[in-house]
This record gives sequence, C-alpha cells and structure tokens, in this order.
Amino acid sequence: MSEEQENPQENNPIDLNKSENPVEIPSTSGPVTPPPFQQPPPFGQFQGGMGQQNLPNSTISLVLGILALPACCFYGIFGLIFGIIAWVLGGGDVKKYQSNPGLYTESSYKNAKAGKICGMIATILSLLFIGFVILIVVGAITHPDAYDQFFKGFR
Amino acid sequence: MAQQQPSFLEWLSHHLFACPFKTYFGFDCPGCGLQRSIVALLKGDVIDSIKLYPATIPLVLIMVFTLIHLKFDLKFGAFAIKVAFLGIAVIILINYIYKIYNHQLIA
Repeated sequence: MSEEQENPQENNPIDLNKSENPVEIPSTSGPVTPPPFQQPPPFGQFQGGMGQQNLPNSTISLVLGILALPACCFYGIFGLIFGIIAWVLGGGDVKKYQSNPGLYTESSYKNAKAGKICGMIATILSLLFIGFVILIVVGAITHPDAYDQFFKGFR
Repeated sequence: MAQQQPSFLEWLSHHLFACPFKTYFGFDCPGCGLQRSIVALLKGDVIDSIKLYPATIPLVLIMVFTLIHLKFDLKFGAFAIKVAFLGIAVIILINYIYKIYNHQLIA
C-alpha cells in the first residue's frame, strides 16, 4: 500500500519543475562541472528542444510496462519480470534526466516516468497474485481434505 | 475472403493456448478469459467480450493509443497512459475478486 501511495506524488508535474531548478542552480555555481556542458541546456530549452536527445530506454520501458499487464496471466511471473524491467529502465532514465535536464527531451522524460509507474503497478499486481497463489498452495498442503472437498463441490 | 474469415475464427477458437496455470492448479488466473474475449471481439460480439473479460477492450485501446503516442508524441499522452493503465489494473483486480466471490474460478 505504501508504494501505491507514492504514485500520486510522482504524478504531479509541479514537483518536477521545482526539482529542476535546484539542480540547475548548483551546476552553474559549482566549479567542478565543466562549462561546455552547462551552456547547451539553456540553448536547447529556448530553441524548443532542437539540440536535445531522447532518453535511451524511455520507449522500451513504456512498451514493456504496458505489456506487463496482459503478461500477468502466465503464473504472474512474466508480468513480474516485465514490470520490474520497465520499472528499472524507467527509473534509471528518470534519474538520468534529473541529473542534467537540459540534455534530454521532456516528452521522453514523461514517457520514462509513465513506463516506470506502469511497471510499478504491474509489479504490484503480479506480486498480489503470486501471494494469493502461495496462500492457496500452503492451504492445500496443510489442509488437503478441505482443498479436495472445495474442488469436489463445484465439479 | 468472406467465407474464409469465419472459418479462421472458428479454427482459432478451438486452438487457443491452454492456461498453464489452470492446468496445474485447477482454477483461473487473473488473465483467464482474455483469449476467448479477443476471439469474441474479432467475431464482433462486444457484449460477449466484455462478459468474458472486461479489460480486453481497454487493453486494445491503450496499446493502440501507445503506438499513436510514440509515433506522434502527444502532449498529454504519457499522463493519459498512466491513468488508463491504473484503471485497467483496477478493472482486472475487481474482475478477479468478483470471480472469486461468485465461484467462477472453477469452470
């Protein structure tokens, strides 16, 4: 439940704009970072994103995140695998964008974030299903008679 | 072509993947009904499709919308995908819980 409650906070676009500014201000004041990498971001932003690249894994993470939902039906394991891959790829891209926001396009950042959240939801769903299956298997092992009666009642 | 299509659908409805989960454990998984629902949708029975698996039509729509979004880069595409994805997850969950309560798992 705690993971699901974190989602609405990440959905807010207002938080992103707030988080971008503190990243940019230290990068201009910090003497460690090289100057050629500081200047392209403002140019790219003013020119409407002409010199910006897409994030590398944003599309893959979005597609995998959506495919993870129908993939839940195979034991829940395929949904778990797809969901975790989408979560990790999307999360990595989100971090990459937040470390230097000017280099990458904002649309690919949104895609990466959507992929991350879709992967998260699919992972939670498959975990719920796997937990349900484990409960039933444990119940069948500890009370085999009740399990047999339950199934005979409907056959 | 008009004669081939129904026969292909009939062949498809008899050659679906058996759910590996159901063959081992004996009860439905949250995805059971998806293939039957897709076949019903291809036949044109929208109501049948919704009855068999309510999340099929939203799933098809979100996949088409994702392709459109990736192609044309819509402004609110990512947000719409997120909301639709959450909705579909909730539909699947409610459908499964409904199945459990109505003893439709073993059919």
